[in-house]
Amino acid sequence: MRSRVIAGVWWLLVAAALLLAPLALRDRLPDPMATHWGTTGSVPDGSSSLTGFVITIQVIWAGLWVLFFLLGRQARVRRPARMTFSACVFGTGVLMLSVAASTLSVNLDAATWRDALLPAWHIPVALAATAATMALAAYLVSEPADDPRAESQARPQLRLNPGQRAVWVSRVVNPWLTVAMFGALVVTVVTVALASTGAAGDPVRVILPLAVILLLAGLVSMAVSVRVRDDLITIGFGPLGWPARRIPLSKVESAWSEQRQPGEVGGWGFRGLPGNATIMLRGGECLVLGYRSGGRLAISVDDAERGASLINALIAERVQP
Amino acid sequence: MLLTLDLNDARPLHEQVASAIRRAIGEGSYRTGDRLPPARDLAVAMGINPNTVLRALRDLRDEGLLEFRRGRGVSVAGRADGRALLTQRARELLEEARRYGYSRDDLITILEDLT
Repeated sequence: MRSRVIAGVWWLLVAAALLLAPLALRDRLPDPMATHWGTTGSVPDGSSSLTGFVITIQVIWAGLWVLFFLLGRQARVRRPARMTFSACVFGTGVLMLSVAASTLSVNLDAATWRDALLPAWHIPVALAATAATMALAAYLVSEPADDPRAESQARPQLRLNPGQRAVWVSRVVNPWLTVAMFGALVVTVVTVALASTGAAGDPVRVILPLAVILLLAGLVSMAVSVRVRDDLITIGFGPLGWPARRIPLSKVESAWSEQRQPGEVGGWGFRGLPGNATIMLRGGECLVLGYRSGGRLAISVDDAERGASLINALIAERVQP
Repeated sequence: MLLTLDLNDARPLHEQVASAIRRAIGEGSYRTGDRLPPARDLAVAMGINPNTVLRALRDLRDEGLLEFRRGRGVSVAGRADGRALLTQRARELLEEARRYGYSRDDLITILEDLT
């Protein structure tokens, strides 16, 4: 509750600064003013009226704030989600303020918008201020740590009869990532076609690597399948289940199922660091493997409870007879 | 989907696989309309030929339990056929009775005493 109030007050403060500063300096700004600098250097390549500039930054700030607020809504209680939310909201606020300050300072007293040259140090300073704010905002909400008792829930265990062989298979497909993957595929094909016919300009050369990266990321993360068999857990990525990761049961101490949301783990796809990673394709039920080394791996997959019960039963039967 | 195969079962493998899938659906891990994992995944997990799994899936489709749709894979069409499920449970019961030294006739007597 308190975090929502603070986030709301922060939104108002930043929005007020983004509105009042340009209006206060109105008489000393060229009309139109420079608002965009290209990749070539300090010379501006885009301009907009003062009203347009104010509306654009207000819309971007409000949009990002609402986005972070909605993404963080479900699980702000837990520590990683709380830290991510705080870092994003305060970091973007500082980024918006730095961008506006930089834009206003270079436009200040310029004759026309083309004279508003951007010094090279503005961008690194703005990014550094953002990063520092994110780190500080995350640090300030890092206490208290999550209650470890909440995690040590009951470990389900299946009863295996002698002479029976049990396997578990599950799979989850994210339709949105599938759509994104096909979108990236179309973009890639079109840009390759344009590039090969020589009709391509600079933008195509920029888009192509991005499209290929998006395509590969989408291919790997649109679907995930998990198999438990004998003494091996196999996690297959992508529609073909390849590449696959194989985890011997001897490395696993126990398994359980847990509810996790993308907002808690930092988004969709492969999240976290080795030792506490999540393969997140959709919010909800996740299969969590607790390694003997103390690490964890969570995979968002259907029917996780049953899978965990089989893993625990197989561990009890094979690894610790 | 949790599938259990009995290593001492003398029935053809595709019937055993069909039983395992029927049991998994009967236990509630999949509801009507849910998609089953691809036959290839099931085959790799059980270490058997994909054609055997496909044959089992076709048997279950003929039974009305599963539905094949182009581009959508295999999904659960409805509730398991009661008789098929009961036959399966009865077979398992008979096997368990034999493990404890009871014959088929003993089991029938037990069933008759139940009413």
